Amino acid sequence: MNLIEMNSICKSYRNIGFETRVLEDVTLHIEEGDYVGIVGPSGAGKSTLMAIMGCLAQPTSGEYILDGEPIGKLNDRKLSRVRNEKIGFVFQAFHLLPGVTALENVILPLVYARGSQGNVKERARELLAKVGLEHRLHHTPGQLSGGEQQRVTIARSLINNPRIILADEPTGNLDSKNGIETMKTFDNLVKEGKTIVLITHDQEVARHAGRIISILDGQIASDREVSHEEQTRSV
Amino acid sequence: MRIFKNLGQALRGLRLNRGNTFLMTLGVMIGIASLTVIVAIGDGIKIKVLNRIANMGFGPESFSVIAGAGRMFFARSKNTTSMTLEDAEDLLALPTVRLVVPRQRKRMQIINKKEFTSTRVYGVTPDWQLARGWQMTDGDFLSDSDLDRRKRVVVLGATPARKLFKGKDSIGKMVRLQNNYYQVIGLLEEKGLTESGYDPDDRALIPLTTSMSRLTHETYLHSIKVVSLDSSQVPETMEAVRQILRRNHNLSVLAADDFRFITPEGIMQWVTESEQALNRMLILISTVSLLVGGIVIMNILLVSIRERVREIGIRRCFGARRSDITFQFLFESILVSLLGGLMGVGLGLAISFGLKRFDVLPTHITVEPFILSFVFCSLIGLIFGIHPARKAAFLSPEESIRSQ
Repeated sequence: MNLIEMNSICKSYRNIGFETRVLEDVTLHIEEGDYVGIVGPSGAGKSTLMAIMGCLAQPTSGEYILDGEPIGKLNDRKLSRVRNEKIGFVFQAFHLLPGVTALENVILPLVYARGSQGNVKERARELLAKVGLEHRLHHTPGQLSGGEQQRVTIARSLINNPRIILADEPTGNLDSKNGIETMKTFDNLVKEGKTIVLITHDQEVARHAGRIISILDGQIASDREVSHEEQTRSV
Repeated sequence: MRIFKNLGQALRGLRLNRGNTFLMTLGVMIGIASLTVIVAIGDGIKIKVLNRIANMGFGPESFSVIAGAGRMFFARSKNTTSMTLEDAEDLLALPTVRLVVPRQRKRMQIINKKEFTSTRVYGVTPDWQLARGWQMTDGDFLSDSDLDRRKRVVVLGATPARKLFKGKDSIGKMVRLQNNYYQVIGLLEEKGLTESGYDPDDRALIPLTTSMSRLTHETYLHSIKVVSLDSSQVPETMEAVRQILRRNHNLSVLAADDFRFITPEGIMQWVTESEQALNRMLILISTVSLLVGGIVIMNILLVSIRERVREIGIRRCFGARRSDITFQFLFESILVSLLGGLMGVGLGLAISFGLKRFDVLPTHITVEPFILSFVFCSLIGLIFGIHPARKAAFLSPEESIRSQ
């Protein structure tokens, strides 16, 4: 079953009467448990594609169905719930709340979750331990290294147990060692059954995925499976 | 409850943005502080004035009739010569009247050798002291024999006594009014300045007969003080007084009174009216200063939101609804306003205590400013928070997450 189904998605931005077309007629389907890398040069429309996929923006035309639910018809309340429950974001710039401890940052999605969440601190602590940060619970982003911050964002993306992880250039701000660590974490998440969509301009990083979609000038240029030997070569 | 979580996030937001939070509280704090101080001063003055009125012996059973029409304190009409000693005698004949004090008044120089001062000289009868309940610090008050014999004796208030004798014994000494010497026979107890600047001690009392025949050379009275037997009889006594005076003065049915009444209620009413005028001014000033405070909050919150676009984007990414963002910033605005109000009340109380402690102005602390500031601040936070909060909520999540 397709978890993500995009049919003829177009997105254009209007700027002082000027219309810029960013995505043109993008159609792609992603199944549950897939590990998809989206590559392309900057300005190709990768981030816009991810914004639509993450329900942060609505397409200008076309149809987006996430987990069987047509997104275009949802109001702000329901869109927020989809973001909260089905999607975990990991950003290049980490996007942690400044001045707030790692633990509290990880808990953030649960602030906006429905119903009572039980012992949220315990869950956050477990996730931070899973990414190797059990000794950094009460540090603020400013007191953490880039790699540590990225691990906090991964823990945050997982706290509400979403089906999809959307990662936008997760290694972009990291040195190679931390980059490799992050990619290993993603590999493990795929093994646990998460669907991961990874956006990058780095072919090396993309090779971790089972499938690479190249975007060029707002259109899908190629969509191919990655052979097993290609994957092992990258590691 | 989701709304409590929003409140929690608002508290965290305020703590993390301490600088902005402090700046936002300033406007409201100053507004509420001035409100607190002005309310305290207003109440303090009112209490002190009421004490003074009681202190002046203007008991509830007495009132004054002043010659000449017009309003209570102001707008003296042209010199009215119609009120006479016969009027006073007729009034004393009324069954409900206990005392009548006819009075002449003139401001003039009073001289002791090289010292001189201008004071109000009253021609009065010995009943003046009974009607006023005013004690002597030294000597005796005017007697019936002083009145009968038109003696040139004077009882001094504390102010002229101090100016003429500089604290030295004055009993038995001679002071000069116009070209006649008067012997000082008594000193009145000091009452002190009123808040309006009126000095009740600035007076000299001589027998009414002496005043008429030797000083003013006039036979008409300036006023008559009437003390009824009981305060409940004041209205009917006033009406009876009115009838007698109108008859004595030959006023036609259509003519207006050529005299006016001063009653304790009248003074109270005047105080209340002044207080209401003060309150109106106060409300105006506070409204303006609190509006300014609200605008300060709104502007800083708008700037703060611009600084925190990324935070808003992050929250939206992880499931915050527009309503969550709205409530978070609305709570921040209300909390900041309440905090400013609390600080303002504190500052206002401190200033009020200081004013009282160092005798600058009388102040009286009531619970009013607390309630007022709580209500005002909540409203201001709400009203001036809505615009920034809505603005924050309607930022596009996609654009705000990308902003640098």
